[in-house]
Amino acid sequence: MSLAAPRFYFEDVVLHGVLETPAITLTEAHVGLYGGLTGDAAREHGLVPDLLPLCLTTGLGWRVPQPPLAVLAFMGFEWVVDLPLRVGDTIHSRSKTTIKRSMRDGGVIVEERQVINQRGEVVQHGKFTFLVAKRPA
Amino acid sequence: MTDPRRYFDDIQVGEEYESPGRTVTEADIVLFAGLSGDYNVLHTDAEFMKQSIFGERIAHGLLGLSIQAGLFTRATQAYATLAFVGLRWKFKGPIKIGDTIRLRAKVAAKKETSKPDRGLVTLERTVVNQRGEVVQEGETDLIVERRRGSP
Repeated sequence: MSLAAPRFYFEDVVLHGVLETPAITLTEAHVGLYGGLTGDAAREHGLVPDLLPLCLTTGLGWRVPQPPLAVLAFMGFEWVVDLPLRVGDTIHSRSKTTIKRSMRDGGVIVEERQVINQRGEVVQHGKFTFLVAKRPA
Repeated sequence: MTDPRRYFDDIQVGEEYESPGRTVTEADIVLFAGLSGDYNVLHTDAEFMKQSIFGERIAHGLLGLSIQAGLFTRATQAYATLAFVGLRWKFKGPIKIGDTIRLRAKVAAKKETSKPDRGLVTLERTVVNQRGEVVQEGETDLIVERRRGSP
């Protein structure tokens, strides 16, 4: 017997539901790998490149007890960096769907996301817009 | 040795830069999935993606964004950047394995801040592929140092 991997569809998204992820500690290895892969570097030694925590929060979103969102397209986002992050800091993310708009093929959702450090400070935050699949009939 | 970085005072509104190209490979996507933990089928399941509107795996949007940030450092002399404060970004089209992308950037605005030793520089950025199609575009805001002693 085979079961299709579960996916979280437009209909499953709960408006204003808050999702909190597990945390991850930012290491030299992350900074080195990210720098080698992208060519993007931190401004000074010990700091974490600003876009790296954002990239890691996407992966943290896969570690919550909920199937992955059936994203058809990542349409865009706005992002604000509030505080610098250093190697050794531990971050997690908190997100909330604030807009849900049904379309003919799928639906648009807007998710507000915060990146939070080990002291509970919001270090980065913003809004993501995704096109999400509807549950197959 | 003189400081080769460009300060707020040196940067002119309307300046344009173009980076070298970079071919995005399967290895880039696999590494980014491993690093970020984002294993979405869009980026990792070739068979599933054959049935999708893209016909094949595509790069993570944030991989394209991060690569353009790297390309920026190869497009112009480094800015005396103190902080990256934010961005507004749109993903316009897919980056597929084997596509070659480059960054076109233009200084859209310069603003004074409350602190006299720095200013805000807004760049318009466009990521184009080998066919000249815009795959990503947006604006980024940077805080850049002023030259010491400048008014």
